[in-house]
Amino acid sequence: MPSTSLAQPTWRSYIRAALAIARKDTIVFFRYPANALFRVIEPIAWLTPMYFLGKSFAGSAGNTGFAAYTGTNDYMSFILLGAVLANYIAAVFWGMGYALKSEMDAGVLESNWMAPIPRALLLVGQTLASLAITTFNSAGMLLLGWLLFGFQVSGNALAAALILIPMLVALYGFGFAFAAIVLLMRDANTMVDVSNYLISMLAGSQFPVQVLPRLLLPLSLALPLTYGFDAIRALLLGVRPLLALHYEIAILIGFMAVMTPLGYFVFKRIERYCQMRGTLSMH
Amino acid sequence: MDTHIAEPWRAGRSLATELRAVLMIARKEWMIFRRYPSWVIALFIWPVLMPLAYIFTAQALGGPGGESLTRFQQLTGTRDYAAFIVLGSILWMWLNMTLWDVGMYLRNEQMHGTLESNWLCPTWRVSLILGGALTKLLVSVAFILISLLEFRVLLGVHLLAGNVGLALLALLLTIPIVHGIGIAFASLVLRFKEANAMVFLVRGIFMIFCGITFPVAVLPGWMQVIAAVLPLTYAIHAVRAALLANAGWAELSADLLVLGAYAIAAPLLGYILFGIVERGARRRGDLGQY
Amino acid sequence: MASSAPVLEFPPPVPADVLAAHLYTPSRAEQLIVDVHDLRKVFVKRRSAPDASMWQRLALRAQRTDERVAVAGVSFGIAEGEIFGLLGPNGAGKTTTIRMLSTLLQPSAGRATINGYDLASQPDMVRRNLGAVLTGERSIYWKLSARENLEYFAALYHLPPAIARRRVAELLERLDLASRANDPVEGYSSGMKQRVAIAKALLANPPVVLLDEPTIGLDPQSARNLRELILEIKREGRTVLLTTHYMEEADLLCDRVGIIDLGKIIALDTPAALKRSIRQLDVMQLEVEAFDEALMPELEALPGVQQSAVRYRDDERVWSLALHSTDSRAVLPRAIALITAHSGRIRHMAVAEPSLEDVFIALTGKQLRD
Repeated sequence: MPSTSLAQPTWRSYIRAALAIARKDTIVFFRYPANALFRVIEPIAWLTPMYFLGKSFAGSAGNTGFAAYTGTNDYMSFILLGAVLANYIAAVFWGMGYALKSEMDAGVLESNWMAPIPRALLLVGQTLASLAITTFNSAGMLLLGWLLFGFQVSGNALAAALILIPMLVALYGFGFAFAAIVLLMRDANTMVDVSNYLISMLAGSQFPVQVLPRLLLPLSLALPLTYGFDAIRALLLGVRPLLALHYEIAILIGFMAVMTPLGYFVFKRIERYCQMRGTLSMH
Repeated sequence: MDTHIAEPWRAGRSLATELRAVLMIARKEWMIFRRYPSWVIALFIWPVLMPLAYIFTAQALGGPGGESLTRFQQLTGTRDYAAFIVLGSILWMWLNMTLWDVGMYLRNEQMHGTLESNWLCPTWRVSLILGGALTKLLVSVAFILISLLEFRVLLGVHLLAGNVGLALLALLLTIPIVHGIGIAFASLVLRFKEANAMVFLVRGIFMIFCGITFPVAVLPGWMQVIAAVLPLTYAIHAVRAALLANAGWAELSADLLVLGAYAIAAPLLGYILFGIVERGARRRGDLGQY
Repeated sequence: MASSAPVLEFPPPVPADVLAAHLYTPSRAEQLIVDVHDLRKVFVKRRSAPDASMWQRLALRAQRTDERVAVAGVSFGIAEGEIFGLLGPNGAGKTTTIRMLSTLLQPSAGRATINGYDLASQPDMVRRNLGAVLTGERSIYWKLSARENLEYFAALYHLPPAIARRRVAELLERLDLASRANDPVEGYSSGMKQRVAIAKALLANPPVVLLDEPTIGLDPQSARNLRELILEIKREGRTVLLTTHYMEEADLLCDRVGIIDLGKIIALDTPAALKRSIRQLDVMQLEVEAFDEALMPELEALPGVQQSAVRYRDDERVWSLALHSTDSRAVLPRAIALITAHSGRIRHMAVAEPSLEDVFIALTGKQLRD
């Protein structure tokens, strides 16, 4: 009695596979509840000093110096929005960066790679989980920010969310390449930590990039993320944008068009390398 | 010498043998430290990166023409916000490094299974910790010097313009305080075995309450009460006043006295706590577990 | 291994033409569900020569390539419903072969088909027809429960939801996991973890199952249960390819065994036939305390000794010697005299039926386990 495989691939079974991967990541994430809570609270440790730093410059009319740079004196909302976007950057660097490596360290990468699905689908599923978890964390953080620091936005939230889409697609495209690179590195922590911090900072998560010194400013303006931060703040807080909004949106769409195929390409290259060298199970 | 070899138990516990043990432990720690190349980043890159975000934010808050700086000057006595933030962050990162290193020192030995073999030795427990701390102290001094140099070169921040002698005195008094906090922290880590969350909690408390990046005066009343209990508040205030406002003995004597008292109390409390935890661990026998 | 290296210089006692008859012949290929033809894997490592200057290194001029041949061309075929074992010592190339067949590692040369699908050009179809449990890997998520693990992999193997639910329930029940199906796997015993991994491999009802050292690290009872399970998997009509370095396991489970050493299959047949091939030899097994290893050349030089191997067994603190000879009556007294003359104490000796281990010794002059 010969057995035949029960595998019945359809387009829906691929979607189910991606969702199963996302579900698995989410379950594992919440199996460490302290960790989950920590993600929400952690930003408070650096937001609080920022808040008091703002207070030490605020006169009777609020942060007028800040308003002269940005067009708004709602300094805390400016920073909180930056923190939300920085959360996604951190999720790509730490979450996606380690997406494959942590599966390898847990000894399950090969089980996944033996399944009859495209191996990049694993990262697609992990991206979905990362987006959901980060959005959840950010919502918690904004809630805390509203309670503690009086976070508020006015303006077109829908338009801002639309702008977020190309930015996130590009970021996660980069995450594909990054995950593959980290997979091959023996100790990536320091590199990930420093690049995450630098990129968040240079993109202007904490301040308007106009204040950067002459040497750093070109770096900042070369980052497409800078325009994403800027456009979303312009829409939600009425910040004066660096460029006209439609230019910023065009830059973000261009960013997406370059990053997504590039990320996939790097991932495929490294997948092939692993297939040749068999480095997948070393830990 | 021969008698030592023939009858080691007769050798007794002279100060010299303890000292030798301390130095050997320090040497071992140094050798381990050197094996991990990422310390270069810790020493050279983070000291500059960490305060940068706050400095740029302060720049933004000051306004394009520095119009909001007046308010900052009223509160702090200086317009040099970069130097103000740098000094705070150097002290904080020093504490942070100590928390990680000392806190993780015993914990790492515990996880690698070498803690028990160390504790089996007839060496004072205190020597075991001092040996580890000695290496970290050297690294800390290097860290502070490197930070000062980097800020001078990269950001043009003058930090050695004011009353250097008094600032140095304040720093010297802070060494045993930081060490004491480190020991207390290490004991708690050993007890509760949750290093990451505790480092986050402790350094977060110091970050928020000690005025690392802002003057404590802007804190609401109840937070100022907590700030007044934490020794780092005084250290930061004294060092800033001495270096940035050229404050003399008259203005700083109160700060320095408090620091002096903490310099005695903190290590004492740290070691007492350590003793309690150690006895508890021996009673429960969970020293080797993790 | 190093100590027994000189033994290799002795000519193998099994005649070359007898061996050749046992090896795979391509003409049988039509009915084979696993068909492996001259599969090779060479790992290439580039590194700079130690004496290269900084500039040479920068220019990548001084690169040297180290080649390590892990699998030096293996061919075998497995008929449907068979249990086929790859038997060999650690590092012989068993795991590399399995990893190539499970599409994790790209062969350097050669080809293979699984259930008719080509490894190189149809890796996805190969994966659909294959369930594998690899060694040294956890292969399942310890933070998830058995049920969550199986549901997860069911989705990855394209099982439609209704079938997936039924299949998961069925496997949990059958592998005796149902009572703890909802607890995280990290709390399971190693035998249970291994059963979850096997359940995962069986999820998609694959015609071919690869098991790499399935019983390694298990306690004797769990290992016994697992062997029972493997026979059950065969009874369901599945084809099993397993690797092991336990000869008893190969003997017990496998319909046919390929003996692999240094990346090559050196003999391939049913366990019975392999043992028969050295039946004309007497196999003497001695356990000796305080044995002097330097005696080995003298023992091997005794007239009539064909092959020998020695290994120190830590657990029993004895040296275990195997001597193959055409005439044990003549050899044994002289061997005993030689050993005792050098103050070795013989604790136990026997003239035994040849085991697969003896087949391995006869072929390589090495013991399977060092």
